[in-house]
Amino acid sequence: MPETFHYHENQIKRRRRKDIKGLDYASIEKIYGGQSKVYDTLFKRFFYPRIKHAIGSMNIQPGDKVLDVGVGTGLSLPLFPSYCSVTGIDFSQDMLRQASKKVDQMGLDNIMLTQMDAMDLKFQDDSFDKVFISHVVSVVPDPYRVMNEVKRVCKKSGTLVIINHFKSRFKVVAKVEEMITPLSKKIGWRSDLCIEEFIEKAKLKVSKQYKLKKIDFWHVIFAANEK
Amino acid sequence: MAIDKDLLDIMACPKCKGDVNVSENGDGLICDACRVVYPIKDGIPVMLVEEAKSIEPDPRD
Repeated sequence: MPETFHYHENQIKRRRRKDIKGLDYASIEKIYGGQSKVYDTLFKRFFYPRIKHAIGSMNIQPGDKVLDVGVGTGLSLPLFPSYCSVTGIDFSQDMLRQASKKVDQMGLDNIMLTQMDAMDLKFQDDSFDKVFISHVVSVVPDPYRVMNEVKRVCKKSGTLVIINHFKSRFKVVAKVEEMITPLSKKIGWRSDLCIEEFIEKAKLKVSKQYKLKKIDFWHVIFAANEK
Repeated sequence: MAIDKDLLDIMACPKCKGDVNVSENGDGLICDACRVVYPIKDGIPVMLVEEAKSIEPDPRD
């Protein structure tokens, strides 16, 4: 990993308040930078069907500008139609390198990548028609800052699509999830977020929310962007 | 991967939120107002304040 990135991480660690709940930046980069090579294998098996289904349901129109937040190694990128333009962002340079390879190898001319902090997006207001936020909410220090930023850069009435794990409604499962939260944080994932609380705090106007299968750890949320 | 004009149009300087432009040699994105350049590594713009490098003041100013 380049020295500049370590420098950057140290700067961020100093800059960020220590009271942010959840995961810190250094952990995120360490975890996901290290995972970038095995990430595709894991994601293809467990997450890909849901990503494919959600993108296929986004009703993307010709000329739409789409933001993919936390694009990772770019598994989702070939799923977007060629008639829209997609901007993929991620905090991890290692992940983006993998994504960039895919873009080049597959000749995906409609894809652009940039390294950015999802909690502090460097785009003008109202830049995108649709925003795809897959498996990000649980792995950032402050999910609501991400949602505020996403709503800012998405046009009014634009579509927000979130795929994420939320705390189970079943008490026994929820208790187990609570117990494994410290462990899951070590692998870059928070398991104690409640979906109702998330929707309320993020002020989402949800049009549909569902699970792909009856027993599924992950929810898909479609929301219209209210400003 | 070349930096697309559409991407440039919507990108904002991490410091001042103003416009950025591709540098002459294509290895960074310049904010004229802040006089800083954000590196483009392996074709990927790094839009992080901590990665910005100062550039000489514009002689026209």
